[in-house]
Amino acid sequence: MKHMRGRLALILTICTLLTLMVQGTATLAEGGAKWLKLAESFAYPSLDAHRDYYGWYTSIYGVTETLFRVADDLSIEPLLAENYEVSEDGKTWTFHLADARFSNGAPVTADMVARNLERLATLNERFAYLSDFTFTTDGDRTLVIETPGVYPTMLSDLTAPETAIMDLDGTSDFDGAPIGTGPFVVKSFEPEGTVEVEKNAAYWNGEVKLDGVTFYYMQDDDSKLMAMQAGEIDGYTSVTAAAKEIFSADPDTYTVTSIPATRLQFYVLNENRLDGAVRAAINLAVDCDALAAYLGGTVSPAVGPFSAAAPYGQVTKPAPDPDAARALLEEDGYVLNAGGVYEKDGAPLQVNICYYAARALDSIALLMQEQLGNIGIDAALTVQEDPDATYVATGDYDIALYCMIADKAGDPYYCIDALYRKNSKWALGGFPTEDSEALIDALQYETDVDQRAALANAVVQMTIDDNAFGYVGLFNKTTVTRKGVSGISENCPFDFYSVSAETEME
Amino acid sequence: MAVGRTIGGRLIHLIWIMFAVSFLTFLLMFLAPGDAAAKKLNAQGVAVSEEVLEQTRVSMGLDRPFLVQYGEWALRALRGDLGASYKDGFPVADKLVRALGRTAVLTLSSLSLALLIALPLSVLSALKRDSVIDDVTRLFSFIGNSLPNFLISVLLMYFLSVRLRVLPLTANESVQGLVMPCLALSIPICGRFIRQFRAAILEELGKPYVSGAILRGVRRRYVLKSVLHNVSIPMLTIVGLSVGTLLGGSVVIETIFRWPGLGKLAMDAISNRDYPVIQGFVLLTSTVYVVINLLIDLCYRWIDPRLNESGGEA
Repeated sequence: MKHMRGRLALILTICTLLTLMVQGTATLAEGGAKWLKLAESFAYPSLDAHRDYYGWYTSIYGVTETLFRVADDLSIEPLLAENYEVSEDGKTWTFHLADARFSNGAPVTADMVARNLERLATLNERFAYLSDFTFTTDGDRTLVIETPGVYPTMLSDLTAPETAIMDLDGTSDFDGAPIGTGPFVVKSFEPEGTVEVEKNAAYWNGEVKLDGVTFYYMQDDDSKLMAMQAGEIDGYTSVTAAAKEIFSADPDTYTVTSIPATRLQFYVLNENRLDGAVRAAINLAVDCDALAAYLGGTVSPAVGPFSAAAPYGQVTKPAPDPDAARALLEEDGYVLNAGGVYEKDGAPLQVNICYYAARALDSIALLMQEQLGNIGIDAALTVQEDPDATYVATGDYDIALYCMIADKAGDPYYCIDALYRKNSKWALGGFPTEDSEALIDALQYETDVDQRAALANAVVQMTIDDNAFGYVGLFNKTTVTRKGVSGISENCPFDFYSVSAETEME
Repeated sequence: MAVGRTIGGRLIHLIWIMFAVSFLTFLLMFLAPGDAAAKKLNAQGVAVSEEVLEQTRVSMGLDRPFLVQYGEWALRALRGDLGASYKDGFPVADKLVRALGRTAVLTLSSLSLALLIALPLSVLSALKRDSVIDDVTRLFSFIGNSLPNFLISVLLMYFLSVRLRVLPLTANESVQGLVMPCLALSIPICGRFIRQFRAAILEELGKPYVSGAILRGVRRRYVLKSVLHNVSIPMLTIVGLSVGTLLGGSVVIETIFRWPGLGKLAMDAISNRDYPVIQGFVLLTSTVYVVINLLIDLCYRWIDPRLNESGGEA
């Protein structure tokens, strides 16, 4: 009897395992509809586009849209706004809305847009400045925004995914099921987990080609790679160098797209500690092409903080030249000692590179140490967990490595204001001058797009000529898709776009 | 009576432990470089102005002195309110309950599986010492102990998902989704259990009462029963320690297999300087440790009633 029971238990165990396996196979084989499966590296507990950075993801999920959007070529194009006018004094912006509708069929009115922007101002610290603006409406389709001063970055600001327009009257569940104007509507939402969206059959801006999309939250790079290989997902972005190599080796199955994006790796040279010749020598020694090559195609070498494709990315910097770097140091009175390190008045030329171990800055720090060593500069590395609370805050660095989004939405002012202003956290590096401040002041209020680009280029060139900054690389946005999948914003440098009405799978 | 004293004593200990760990954690987080406001605002790498940063610090109450911040938190916690996450504003208690549920499922299934494999194998290995079975079991134990979690996870994913395609990587919190993380956690535990259980059984088998019983002709199954009864206390200690560790969460497994439990919650909270979540986690884990230790002590008394009479602990 006992033997019988044991056998029965064994048979039951085997049956359970087999059921699991069959279920697993069924999940893998399910389909039929045009249902795309993508992996995302981040997931949030809410879909309220106005809070925190959640709007980035409602935009990625194709649920919400904004008045304007940034095109692949970094130009700003209208979306929910059909067109706009700005007054002579640059303080009154009049927007004429497109005949757009929310997914529940309600029209997008000027009043609803105004209420959305006012809600954003109260819920999101980064957009609190919107509360200084006055919103008035003229009929259902005209919104007037008055600003206290000239505000040339208005259009750029209105491309931010947090400025998404939702139907504030259609639901109270903004966390789980917001009503947007996008090509997809929320089907199911698991906080900080999987999100399913389905076709918005009444999409106002054209026919939606897919039936739906599932976004799996997968933080781990190996999990994404293997899910792709197992055929469980159809694509993802932020592909690592190793995974890119694997996918690129199988072009019949996968399509890999890599474009320079907007996240900048750079370093600040502390002018209070390093004289001009040393800073120039350092910049001549750092070979960004070699750094980018070492990082396996995950970054593109940078000249300035912005993509060279942008009108405000037109700057130049000298090519790396170790011999010229050595010559500069020798002209400055440094002599090479027996250990291969330059010294002056008996003091070796030592610099401290501060970095934090994220966004490949640890690899860059090591390579820079080696490259500086090649020209006789002894570089020590200091790693910190939180740069903002340590070396950036104290200015206790010779070279400070950092990474940030440089181009938020098709305009250079945000980055220039953050990096080069006298009141910025980087001012401890000693760069800001009266001249640079005057140029940035002019940029702040300049409304002409060409003039803005010219001013931005002038400021950035100043930082290069002064050897105040070194621009290492722009992270590439690398996307892999299964063959036949297209239109997941793989050619758009911004992280907050993905699926659209045009997204297609064969 | 002795049991009641034990429970009462542990509960008093728990109050002191919770106060001490919460104060120390709050102090350490306060002293550590980093700023919850900056972490929240810079989450996607977007730079924000010092003005916005300062306003956010004020609105989050981070500009106030340490003792004020701790005192407010402690008073709220005493009322059962663990506050809201700095990162996303959602209630800490909800986050902890959700994560604890997932971790508990993973922990209990992994431990059950590990025990199911380790117990018979360790007994067999000890009884058949230096045989082929013993060698194979010890090899398995050695490999299980040596392989890091992430490597086991990657191997499981590769063979079960990519090659055989029997278990999906995209399974959510279902039985299917549980299999691989459970296996990845069980294998090292199993290796450890086999090694420690086998050693305990061998030590017990070497005792004179075992030789005497065998020489007197007592049937082996009865001898084995006595041996297992006598080694159950050290075995229980080993299992109890593992439960405590596992309930703290396993960041690697939880991240790789998309099973977001307590480990990942705590790690994310530390990275984001999300003090309310960290404090909640610390309170929860200290409570779990104390409760598990208490349960183990009670089990000792159940296994060996003499401990009740002496009032001592095993």
